[in-house]
Amino acid sequence: MIERTNPAPVRTEGTVITFTLNGEPVAVAAPPARRLVDVLRHDLLLTGTKIGCEIGRCGACMVLVDGRPMNACLTMMYQVEGRKVTTIEGIAGGPEALHAVQRAFLEEGGFQCGYCTPGMIVSAAVLLAERPDPTDEEIIDALSGNLCRCTGYGGILRAVRRAAEIGREERCHG
Amino acid sequence: MILNRKTAGDRWRIRPDGPAKVTGKLAYLTDYAAPDMLYGLVLRSRYPHARIRAIRTERARTLPGVRAVLTHRDVPGLNAFGISRQDQPVFCFDLVRYVGDAVAAVAAETPEAAERALELIEVDYEPLPVLDTPEKALAEGAPKLHPWGNVLHTNEYKRGDADAAFAACAHVVEETYFTPRQMHTYLETEGGLFVPEPDGRLTVYAPTQHGLLDRLQLSRILAMPEDRIRVVSSPIGGSFGGKDELNIQPYGALLALATGRPVKIHNSRRESVRAGLKRHPMKITMKTGIDASGRLLAHKVRIVADTGPYATLGAEVLNFATEHVIGPYRYANLDVESVSVYTNNGMSGEFRGFGGNQAIFALEGQMDRLAALAGIDPWEFRLINLRRSGDPGPFGQRIARTDGAYQVWAKLKESELWREREAAASDPGGKADATRPPWIQTGIGAAMVMHGFGLGYGIPDPAGGRLRLAEDGKIEAVFGYEEFGQGLLGTLEMLMMDTFGFARDDLRLVVGDTDRVPDSGSSTASRTTAMIWQSLRRMEGPFRRKLLEAAAALLGRPADGLRLGPGGVTDAKGGEPLIRYADIAAKMEEPIEEETHFHFPVSDIEKIGAHFLYSYSAVAVKVEVNRLTGRVRVLDQYHAVAAGPVVNPMGYVGQIEGGSGMALGFALLEDAIMENGRYLTGNLDTYLIPTIADLSGRVAVEPVEDLPEDDPYGPRGIGEIGSVGLAPAIAQAVYEATGIRINRLPIDPALLIAKPEDLWKAVSGQ
Repeated sequence: MIERTNPAPVRTEGTVITFTLNGEPVAVAAPPARRLVDVLRHDLLLTGTKIGCEIGRCGACMVLVDGRPMNACLTMMYQVEGRKVTTIEGIAGGPEALHAVQRAFLEEGGFQCGYCTPGMIVSAAVLLAERPDPTDEEIIDALSGNLCRCTGYGGILRAVRRAAEIGREERCHG
Repeated sequence: MILNRKTAGDRWRIRPDGPAKVTGKLAYLTDYAAPDMLYGLVLRSRYPHARIRAIRTERARTLPGVRAVLTHRDVPGLNAFGISRQDQPVFCFDLVRYVGDAVAAVAAETPEAAERALELIEVDYEPLPVLDTPEKALAEGAPKLHPWGNVLHTNEYKRGDADAAFAACAHVVEETYFTPRQMHTYLETEGGLFVPEPDGRLTVYAPTQHGLLDRLQLSRILAMPEDRIRVVSSPIGGSFGGKDELNIQPYGALLALATGRPVKIHNSRRESVRAGLKRHPMKITMKTGIDASGRLLAHKVRIVADTGPYATLGAEVLNFATEHVIGPYRYANLDVESVSVYTNNGMSGEFRGFGGNQAIFALEGQMDRLAALAGIDPWEFRLINLRRSGDPGPFGQRIARTDGAYQVWAKLKESELWREREAAASDPGGKADATRPPWIQTGIGAAMVMHGFGLGYGIPDPAGGRLRLAEDGKIEAVFGYEEFGQGLLGTLEMLMMDTFGFARDDLRLVVGDTDRVPDSGSSTASRTTAMIWQSLRRMEGPFRRKLLEAAAALLGRPADGLRLGPGGVTDAKGGEPLIRYADIAAKMEEPIEEETHFHFPVSDIEKIGAHFLYSYSAVAVKVEVNRLTGRVRVLDQYHAVAAGPVVNPMGYVGQIEGGSGMALGFALLEDAIMENGRYLTGNLDTYLIPTIADLSGRVAVEPVEDLPEDDPYGPRGIGEIGSVGLAPAIAQAVYEATGIRINRLPIDPALLIAKPEDLWKAVSGQ
């Protein structure tokens, strides 16, 4: 594979915007209206956040801002000033760790091409953080902003149910 | 047995590409970036049909930050492409024939500069009449879109005299079916990175379903020998047929060579919609007649396909539809004619199901209508006419022996969902109905699918692969196939482990890089699992022998007491390796390698595209129709699939569930509507694909694995078949719920909204 270095020097024009990214403080020089998705993918090379429609319909760019799911294509840099941003790269809380949702997606086959998967996992993770034992209706509600074209959602639904089960097992044993 | 994680047991395995996908670490080709990279954009036609009078690029070229502006004058080789027939210009020069036609391309230091440069390119157009239906394109005196006219391809198949036979029929059904311009909607839009290498070669990092064919097409355009081009084409964020043809590759390649710098192109969704392929809209007219006992006496079919401005695989799709409007039934007389017509609409091309989706929707619609006319149960009616083991194929051709049609027919009949229908039929207005509001009506329908796989007679369809012990001790399985999500890597890994006894860690799977792979043919037509299986069957004996003989020589003991195991070669009892693969690799004097090449099995009939191998499926579905809103909800699905042994259970379930999700969109939601040659939809706010809320119903997948004794072909293709049967099954379920016949997809809710007086009757019970 080719070297994945920054294609252009990180922009120096614009305002310096500071926020917390996956637990680390960062300062980025960017015009305040620059899209978060561009800063993540282009400036910071965090390409786990995907782009699919750029109008907030597909959910491939889903990230958490202060724990709430947001489409990074509709989020401007000034909106994350001083906030905590979590991307798929930080969802597990450590570089080698896997979130229960990630483990469940692996086990159940909740993905195929994988392009919607980071956004899907971010949405599922925040659902389980808020509702550890979601009903199917709650799962459907939480994931209805994330499109998948490969799986037909069966594997995704089973994976989120399984992740809730993993959570229950861990609470019992932990 | 229903296939799922539980019933699959230890054959339900985590995919090798899974960890990188769930963590976001996997770099897709559109995630690539390179130092000093430029951004490429393509100028698309302003009109669906126009003559180009002049193109002026001076203002764009002098814009700061712009490094290249290219037009037809800058194509060193063939200014045309197309997998089958090269009739699509890389850059238009005299005519534009659709709104996705490319007129120029730019590379600039920033995306903003590239966009500005596009605006500064001046093109003088003289708009021409827009041929936005096949009827207009076929009309006498219509402007010719190509020197050879407006017909891309025709096909026909006739046996007996259908017209005469209708006179003897007890019942005849005539209907015209219309299918939508469905969009693939892969989540990753087209794109990639194009890198001129220091040694003068070009590396193309861009998705495709056949890397070696992209290399051939690019070599023609660039006038560069094929071995000077490297195409890296996996992993891919979805394709479904839509990325098989070239899309942005010619522009990225030309811009990179013109500037000497890496160029990135990544289509916006809007551009993907405008320029990309769609499923062929088809108008299929059928007249089908039976005798009093339900036997099919005559079947007359006319297919008109809207192929858009250029060929790509439009002819092949039409051939497939021509074969599959005949499908799994026996007829006394057949009369099928089909035509694929050039228009100024969007590009139609390869899309999962490949013309079968349209054909089977129409064919199964006829079967349900005929059964109703004859007063025969629709499923029993199909059995009367079903092809059985030993029967020829739809064109009368010799095919691999199969009783797949009957196998899936029988499975569906025994299924829980079909028994529910039978129970409901014997208890109309029974208990289940009492709890529902009167404007909610339910119905259960079913459909049969026969699906040919491989490219068919008369089309080069090579297959093959390579196994080798690499210098570092890894066993390499090298195939020219692409991973676009279908689970090719998982299937290859499982087959390698099961065939040879290797451990996961012993293996290195190599796909998607033309510098490394042999010609295995395309990753299309549901063919890769079968071709890998057949390749391994050919290579298994020789490769095992070479490895064991090398081990035997190093160990100083006879090869026949040795066997391959996880980590290395063991004695006959297995256990700890006597010698590790890495140790054999370190000491091997000549390469331990095995390669195979063969052709996909074909029939001996001289009918282009006729298939030899088929998969079968029977689909039952339960729907709920809301007569207030006209909306259809899919509650429960059952899929029986006869396609030989299941290689990879997780992949199998995923293909059928995922395919049926696409079919649900085809039946209920999706149509990239065009008006006057222009898309009325540009993005996913107006082109709706199913969400999890549309697809939360139950799906049961039941494989039938039995093949005839001595069958040498192994697993059949299942990559497409799941996308076919649900639409006609939904149409029949809607009929059972409401009594309304569907002949046009997606189903228009307005058709299903009950008249107020009917609803009042239902609510008041009067």
